[in-house]
Amino acid sequence: MTEISLRLAVSFAQILAEMSIVMVTVATMTYFERKILGWMQDRMGPMEVGPYGLLQPVADGIKLFFKEDIIPAGANRAMFKLAPVLTMVIAMIGFAVIPFGPDVSMEMFGMTIKPFVVADINIGVLYILAIASIGAYGIILGGWASNSKYSLLGGLRSAAQVISYELNVGLAIVGVLMLAGTLSLVQITEAQSGGFWHWFIWGGRPDGFFPIHTQIFAFVVFVISAVAETNRIPFDLPEAESELVAGFFTEYSGMRFAFYVTAEYANMLLVSCVAASLFLGGWNAPYPGTILEYIGLEQLAWIEHIIWFTGKVYFFLFLFIWLRATLPRLRYDQLMRFGWKVMLPIALANIVITALTLYFFPRS
Amino acid sequence: MTFKAWIKTITLYDLLVGMKMTMSHMLHYKPITMQYPHEKRILPDNYRGMLALLRYEDGVEKCVGCDLCEAACPSRVIRVVSAEVPDEPTKRYAKEYYMDMTRCLFCGLCVDACPVDALGMTREFEWSVYDKRQLHLNKEQLLAIGDRSFPVREKQLELQHPNVAFFNVAFKHLPQKPG
Repeated sequence: MTEISLRLAVSFAQILAEMSIVMVTVATMTYFERKILGWMQDRMGPMEVGPYGLLQPVADGIKLFFKEDIIPAGANRAMFKLAPVLTMVIAMIGFAVIPFGPDVSMEMFGMTIKPFVVADINIGVLYILAIASIGAYGIILGGWASNSKYSLLGGLRSAAQVISYELNVGLAIVGVLMLAGTLSLVQITEAQSGGFWHWFIWGGRPDGFFPIHTQIFAFVVFVISAVAETNRIPFDLPEAESELVAGFFTEYSGMRFAFYVTAEYANMLLVSCVAASLFLGGWNAPYPGTILEYIGLEQLAWIEHIIWFTGKVYFFLFLFIWLRATLPRLRYDQLMRFGWKVMLPIALANIVITALTLYFFPRS
Repeated sequence: MTFKAWIKTITLYDLLVGMKMTMSHMLHYKPITMQYPHEKRILPDNYRGMLALLRYEDGVEKCVGCDLCEAACPSRVIRVVSAEVPDEPTKRYAKEYYMDMTRCLFCGLCVDACPVDALGMTREFEWSVYDKRQLHLNKEQLLAIGDRSFPVREKQLELQHPNVAFFNVAFKHLPQKPG
């Protein structure tokens, strides 16, 4: 009994730590998004609250916390209240299988603890795909329960978009799964250790440098589909400001609105983490081993690993913002045509080619 | 589709050109906006700001109550109640003078219409208020705006050189428009 409660306590502490890291990253993301967007458009971004507007996320949080919580007349109250919570929870629990740092284990209280991953389950990729699909429910429910035409249209668009691009995400991952031979994100990352030519975006074989198993097409498909799945510009049709006011969360205010925004950023962070783990070697440095290991600090090597992981994730997050600053929104039929007639064939062809190259040039 | 266009499509060339543009703007960051309440832009010389009533050097109001500004105003901002100056039956003045600045579009036609240059446009523009009735200004308020915006006043018309008085041409000793 005590063992179970101890196990629960440790897991809870890990979840809490990971949640706080995610929330802090989301807060910094909202700041950097506005700041970088401003810089790219020859503006300054937030400058008022704190030095260079650094306290803007705090001010936004406090403001949203004290805003009136409006439930529109005719809304389905239970669903209306449930939807943002569902979206938020789904966005948060996806992080459970993301390995933030190296696959080390500690012996503590008589049990084995992996400090850098909350749950190293052997179907990690499937878990993330399943969770991401449920995330669409929050959006659709919120859009439907609001009793507003804009919300409903936004929710329906979101459903169609998420389903179309979910498929491409899943199929783009298949090539990586074939190379790694596992569904665990920890083991997929492990398989890419030993220099950047082993990352699955290049797919070099363990005995050579020649990128015969390159997954770069899958990588491009994954990143584009990830942008679409997180409803970001240029695929932000569910919340197209100029057409649908704010899409599925038109009627939301106060903390419920904040939940949706936080979930959007958390989803961005999640797909960035997944892209970094699957294609860019996760916490592996682009050179074999780590520098701290060479100079004799094996105990601190995890710091370098975590820095590399953070750097890769932030590269993707910057890419999201960069795309937002650059591109206009696609039309709805363009979005669907692009998803089904361009992305899907590329992803399928990538699976076939990867399978053939794996058959003729096995990895080991 | 030519081969070149096809290559451009599959390498996302157009997209990369756009992203290079935004990136170069971020690297050569030079904001064209201003932190407004902390720094203010330099107003042009002919800036048309808040309207004001002016006085002569000796403190007498310039306005002669002729109503021409009211007639010239396209949006009926101005309302003048004209009256005789007590003990001086040949002279008139504005007994009451109201401006509803919520309607003013700052065209400057009233200033052009005034035969005695009694109206001036100041360089004030920060006139946002919480209660828009505060923008319904009476004569005292308009004179106060003129007092604080035009510290250098004109001499009485009869004290000026007759030609100047007639054509009302500005000379060096006459009030300079700020700028």
